[in-house]
Amino acid sequence: MLNIENLNAKIEDKEILKGLNLNIKPGEVHAIMGPNGSGKSTLSNILSGKKGYEINGNVTFEGENLLDLETEERAHKGIFLAFQYPLEIPGVNTNTFLKTSINAIKKARGEKELDALEFLKLIKKKSAELKFDEKILSRQLNVGFSGGEKKKNEILQMSILNPKLSILDETDSGLDIDALRIVSEGVNSLRNKNNSFLIITHYQRLLDYIKPDFVHVLKNGQIIKSGDYELAKELEKVGYEDFN
Amino acid sequence: MQNEIKSIFEKSLNEGDFSSSQKNIKEKSFNRFIEQGFPNKRIEDWKFSDLNQIISANFENLNYSKKNIDKNVDVDLINEFEHNKIIFVDGNISKIDFNHEDKDKFSLKHDLELDEQLNENALLNLNTAFLSSYIKFTVKKGYQFQKPLILYNYLTSDLVSHGLNLRMDINLEDGSSLDIVNIANQNAKNNFLNFRQKINIGKNSVLKNYSLDIGPTSNIKYSFNDINLDKNSHLEYFIFSKGSKFSKHDINCSLNNDHGSVSLNGIIDLDNEKHHEIKTSINHNEENCKSYQLIKSVLNENSKGVYQGKIYVNSKAQKTDGYQLSRALLLNDDVEFNAKPELEIYADDVKCSHGSTSGNIDENSIFYLMSRGLSHAQSKKLLTNGFLNEVIEKISNKNIKSLIKKLTGIQE
Repeated sequence: MLNIENLNAKIEDKEILKGLNLNIKPGEVHAIMGPNGSGKSTLSNILSGKKGYEINGNVTFEGENLLDLETEERAHKGIFLAFQYPLEIPGVNTNTFLKTSINAIKKARGEKELDALEFLKLIKKKSAELKFDEKILSRQLNVGFSGGEKKKNEILQMSILNPKLSILDETDSGLDIDALRIVSEGVNSLRNKNNSFLIITHYQRLLDYIKPDFVHVLKNGQIIKSGDYELAKELEKVGYEDFN
Repeated sequence: MQNEIKSIFEKSLNEGDFSSSQKNIKEKSFNRFIEQGFPNKRIEDWKFSDLNQIISANFENLNYSKKNIDKNVDVDLINEFEHNKIIFVDGNISKIDFNHEDKDKFSLKHDLELDEQLNENALLNLNTAFLSSYIKFTVKKGYQFQKPLILYNYLTSDLVSHGLNLRMDINLEDGSSLDIVNIANQNAKNNFLNFRQKINIGKNSVLKNYSLDIGPTSNIKYSFNDINLDKNSHLEYFIFSKGSKFSKHDINCSLNNDHGSVSLNGIIDLDNEKHHEIKTSINHNEENCKSYQLIKSVLNENSKGVYQGKIYVNSKAQKTDGYQLSRALLLNDDVEFNAKPELEIYADDVKCSHGSTSGNIDENSIFYLMSRGLSHAQSKKLLTNGFLNEVIEKISNKNIKSLIKKLTGIQE
């Protein structure tokens, strides 16, 4: 599904990714762990099309050159990034935004757009699943949301858009245990043989809830080791500094 | 050109039904205007909007002669809610309908009341010189208007290169209230509109005035609003400034007795090389008055926005609470925004503040929205609408708020 070969990325002459390789097949859950500044967020930004990076290497998504696509085209093709810091958008109603988003994607895929009633039904179902207070959705997008509410809102969007590849950028940071469990259940409910996940995190904790098929260690812009869930446990014990 | 305008003026003087003292005032005003000419950028109030230059760039000749209308012009009416209406067509009153109100509780007079005093502002002298139809509207003591009054300002497509001078005086007697919506529905092209409104708000009275320029139209517009508030009265004033090629909305608002309050909110939303200005002067002349101003601008495609806002606090006006904020979003490199905030304070126990920001749209927010499948244009629209929506939310009349959301397309 996603194939990354020798990915290099620079921002303002600073090298961040230095020859990263990664292959994700349909249905797989990959976790990338790494210390601060190792390039985790850069990777997720590049995959979802954020501008400002000087990029070299090959990235294909379902056989198509991903780097040629605009941010919104990647979303239309089924890539979703759950932001580490979801942005506050004053004056924009959360429901309006969600409806605009799902219909933009449906339109691009040649599917029938949802009318107000169909949308409402979907929202009701999904927010109940995530134990997300619907009242929040009539507020301005992420404005005045608690850290947990912002992250849940990301997972709600993910669950509504049902992407093929979901990238979770430190979704666990700032979550209490209850929120972490709910968020993880949301992710697990989307797992199937077609949907893949790339989970970026500092800690093993999230991976206790969402069991990954593969764990990779990212350090200095490269994946230095790959393995299974056991690798995460080992990392937790040894720490990043001494990990080689 | 001078001879031409002079002969049109003399003709209008002879054809109109004016008393000799009115003729005298008009002649003086006309002569003063001829001396002054259209205001240019050397005059401080006009430094960001050189009307003289704008007029000469857009008109070879302006025709000020009175235009008579065909009474049967079809005007698109608002059907969202019941309302009273006055319909102006090409500056003439075509229909008056106050079916929702008690006829004894208000009055409409048409006898011209001209200012004897000549004005520094040349456009007011021009207005006096050519003013032919006039309304003085009074809401009587203690009467609360049941439904809003919508003033439809309709210009037919026959009207071209016309200079149109209109004036309306509104008087709220003590303890009364009224909501007004000004809507310009303009099919006409290339005219100069010079509107003047004089408003008096009596003790314990509330006026809400919503002024909408939606367009688009190639008209050049100036609107001067002189507002006086008495004790414990409240003014809510909303401006949506978008449609005209050029517009300057001038507000001179005086809090002349204690515990008066003003909430003034405006949107400048421009594209296609338009140039709009909102200029406010809020005069705190007595103690314990409040004023709040919020102006938000979105500028695109070589347009120019201006906000000049002044808060004046007289030495008697202790315990004044004055606030003013201007925020502008610049969507292109070729746009221009000028803000001139001014505080002039002669009392010592006051709370006054102002702020002005201008900047680009946040690229991170655009990225966030695009990562959810929205196009760049859609994301930009959502963000600018969100930015402007804060101003729309200040509108306290719910029916009018949803009407304005519908007409402008700005909503959450």
